Amino acid sequence: MITAFRALFLGLAATSLLAVGQTAHAQDKTIKIGALFPISGPGSYFGAQDKQGVELALEQLNRTGVNGYKFAIQYEDSSCAPLPATQAAKRLIEQFKPDVIIGEECSDATLAVMPIVEQAKVPLLNAGSSSIKVTQPGNPWTFRIMPNEVMQGVNLAENAYKRLNARTAALLFENTNAGIGNAQVFKENFTKLGGKVLAEIGFGRDVNDFTAIATRVAGLGKIDVIPTYTLEGQGLKITQALAQAGITKGGGGGAIQIGTIWLPFGFEQKAGKAALGYIRIVQFDPTDTRDLVKKFIAAFKAKYNADPTHLNAHAYDQIMLIADVVKRGGKDPQSIRDGLAATKNFSGVTGSVDFDKTNQNTKMDTVHYMETKPDMSWTSLKWN
Amino acid sequence: MTVTIVLQQAINGVVLGSLYVLVALGLTLIYGVLVQINFAHADFVTLGAFAAYFFMHLVGASYILSIGVAFSVGAILGWMINASIFTPLRRKGNELLPLIATIGVSVMMQNLMLAWFGPIPYAFETQYSNQVVRFAGIFVSWQNVIIIIVSSMTIALLYAFMKFTFLGKALRAVSQDHETAGLMGINQNQLIMLTFVIASALAGMAGAMLAPVLVLTPFAGTSVIVKAFAIVIIGGFGNVEGTILAGLIVGLIESYTTQFLDPGLIDIVVFALLLLMLAIRPTGLISERREENV
Amino acid sequence: MSRRMKYLLAALSVFVLPLIFNDTYWRTNLTICAINVLLTLGLDFILGYTGQLNLGHSAFYGLGAYVSTLLIVKLGVPFWVAFVAGIGFAGLAGMFLSLFAVRLRGHYLAIASLGFAVIVYQILLNWISLTQGPLGIYGISPPPAVVIAGRVVADFRSLTAFFYLVSGFTFLVYLLLNQLVRSPVGETLTAIREDEISAASLGINCAAWKVFAFVVGSAVAGAAGCFYASFVGTLVPDAFYVTEAFNVLAMVIVGGVGTLIGPVFGAIFLTLLPEVLRGVGDLRLVVYGAALTFVVLFMPGGLIQAAHLVREKLRPSGPAS
Repeated sequence: MITAFRALFLGLAATSLLAVGQTAHAQDKTIKIGALFPISGPGSYFGAQDKQGVELALEQLNRTGVNGYKFAIQYEDSSCAPLPATQAAKRLIEQFKPDVIIGEECSDATLAVMPIVEQAKVPLLNAGSSSIKVTQPGNPWTFRIMPNEVMQGVNLAENAYKRLNARTAALLFENTNAGIGNAQVFKENFTKLGGKVLAEIGFGRDVNDFTAIATRVAGLGKIDVIPTYTLEGQGLKITQALAQAGITKGGGGGAIQIGTIWLPFGFEQKAGKAALGYIRIVQFDPTDTRDLVKKFIAAFKAKYNADPTHLNAHAYDQIMLIADVVKRGGKDPQSIRDGLAATKNFSGVTGSVDFDKTNQNTKMDTVHYMETKPDMSWTSLKWN
Repeated sequence: MTVTIVLQQAINGVVLGSLYVLVALGLTLIYGVLVQINFAHADFVTLGAFAAYFFMHLVGASYILSIGVAFSVGAILGWMINASIFTPLRRKGNELLPLIATIGVSVMMQNLMLAWFGPIPYAFETQYSNQVVRFAGIFVSWQNVIIIIVSSMTIALLYAFMKFTFLGKALRAVSQDHETAGLMGINQNQLIMLTFVIASALAGMAGAMLAPVLVLTPFAGTSVIVKAFAIVIIGGFGNVEGTILAGLIVGLIESYTTQFLDPGLIDIVVFALLLLMLAIRPTGLISERREENV
Repeated sequence: MSRRMKYLLAALSVFVLPLIFNDTYWRTNLTICAINVLLTLGLDFILGYTGQLNLGHSAFYGLGAYVSTLLIVKLGVPFWVAFVAGIGFAGLAGMFLSLFAVRLRGHYLAIASLGFAVIVYQILLNWISLTQGPLGIYGISPPPAVVIAGRVVADFRSLTAFFYLVSGFTFLVYLLLNQLVRSPVGETLTAIREDEISAASLGINCAAWKVFAFVVGSAVAGAAGCFYASFVGTLVPDAFYVTEAFNVLAMVIVGGVGTLIGPVFGAIFLTLLPEVLRGVGDLRLVVYGAALTFVVLFMPGGLIQAAHLVREKLRPSGPAS
């Protein structure tokens, strides 16, 4: 027994030495960016796309550098869950010693990592978690450029009631932090305005067939809007099921699907006619006419031969914002943190950035409304 | 609450049930003859789905042909798993080790598929998946109709095979009483291999049929497998009729729980039913086996 | 080397570990190892010593975590009282499942325990008003500091102190279980595992002993859950999904089922392997699955069997040990 024990001990020692030896040697004039993305497990969907956006931005920036600085990146797999995320964060901080960290995507993971970055005094720039708790109460070292669930929900409810004249709603949401949170916000605000929520139907991430849910919605009577909060895979099935049941416009009914957490460009091509009339908030508007956006789309297509999604765009913006802070004088964790907090009217491809005192970006031009036209293309509704 | 809604949910339940039966059939067949659980069964289904998808999209073949490809992929996988895991372990006589080995295989397969195919859901559309049949205010998609038809045909064929052919009777003999069957001169090993191959081929085929219905990621199998186990036990391990009945019941539970309660409660209801069955009637709804010391 | 010397050496090594690995990343890994060892000890007692294939260990893990945390967070119960309550509840749940399943054998028990784990997970996930479900419970504090005569002796916000706490507890549990296993109780349990019918004919009340083993094993898992919650500080139901039960099973099998010390190494090995393989990305989980499959096929005795083989090879002459 002792032989085995000794061998294991030595093995442990050896591997730890190896790990320490991999620490990057700090080079002068390099800004080190740490990235906490889900690279394995079901959330790896996000990590892969985030990486693409990051790489594009770094490629562009490192051609000339910013203020004499170049950018180095280190990715760590946070798996979209609290424990792996905290381990990844600690490993990143101890071994890579980043000046700034971007990530995570999932609210649970981000919330778990926040105390760690606060203690290590490294700024965390987030663009994927919608839970309000990230910035309320938040902490001085965590920043979020994405509109949170309250910002989106209040706005959506208002627009549903006033612009779409909706008086009844049926909520469909995935049983996760983000799904439940977003649905609750919509419900509170919609009912405050005078609307009625006829049903709140939450489902697990393992539900494949939505015909039963669609049937239940069909039996509720006249529904004006169906706020849907789920990811692409299940979102596709829901849209198709609702159309098959004849509830939504795509199926000959009158209800409009609205909302959603993330449905990228290309959803319509997969959903087909069922997606007709879908109105949703997206974080990236590919029909945006600003030069900045057009250049981004062109560069992305040239590098990856695909259209960018909001995940690519968010990651791109995070890096570009950091570069902007460096241009304004940021060069280490503390000055980068201060530079982020002082950001005023930064222009990103997803919208502008202006942080309030809880480090939440309050610019509503990051909330883009899109409607699906009969020819399956998007038209941007200028509601913000 | 209209009659239409209740009827519609009944149909939804039957469709869901057929879905589950397609997956559970292979499991129950294997158990009946081998008295072994293959935890990787659902991953065969997933792999079958991917095989069909890529065959259709890379080669441009028809959907029907891709079902055949998935069937074959399943068969090959079944052969490999039986040869490499169940046969050597059966000689050692431990009944739980093979189950654990298949858990390992399942983890490996899921993550290999994740590495090869990525996590983004694939949209598998066939010409049937979005067209809908409507009658008397009820609707069913053509894909689901096909699932029910193929399900029923497969079950009928399987039934006939088991009842009327020599091989089928031999299979039933082995599943009812290993030792005596051996005494009767039935070559157990070949029979077991045959069962495995058929069951896994069925799984692959099920994958191809379910692909348009499932959210197609490498983890698609896991969403179905645990319920499939529940169905196999509720129906009676090794019993085809029981599996069909149990599958339909679970499908109906799912649609009615969604209608009247909450989709989140589905698993609780199904597994509470499972535990109930184990408590009062562990051999399942219908059992033609001898009283087994469970 | 006498057993007492082995224990002393083990204790010393454990003591020295956080001093060698003095960054927060590796100290975190060490603590997680300790928690996983606790889980495997519990499962091995159930699986390895009474032969009950429990696929639902994650349920007791989760129940221990949630019960203790909810008592602290909602009712202000002191930490150690909640700790005991968490263990007790997990043990009770184990008793409930075991009494229910005591007649079941092999595969039926396996599926029943799996079903139980699914139900527990779904309850934790859906009973939002009680458990917060996927919204999660945040800001869970570590155990309160130990203060003797006005001086702070141990502050568990320090990773080192927390590691000593968990590994110390785990060490004690190991000693206890080891004593149990070497006593006549152990012989009884082994008799049940090998041949229940013969054991019954000897007058052994198999059902009672099987339930006993289950209760002990699940209580230990509950303790691991309590430590997990106060260590990570964040509690979401997904940490206790049924795949967690498979992970613990893998650790037990790869380590060497039924040896008690084997699972300790299995837990350490399979906890650290994914960390060491981080550079490999998705493939590290493939390695995980492969390890489990190959061990079962070629070396069912796990690491312990491998260690014995190595020891045999290193001893060229003389009688076999």
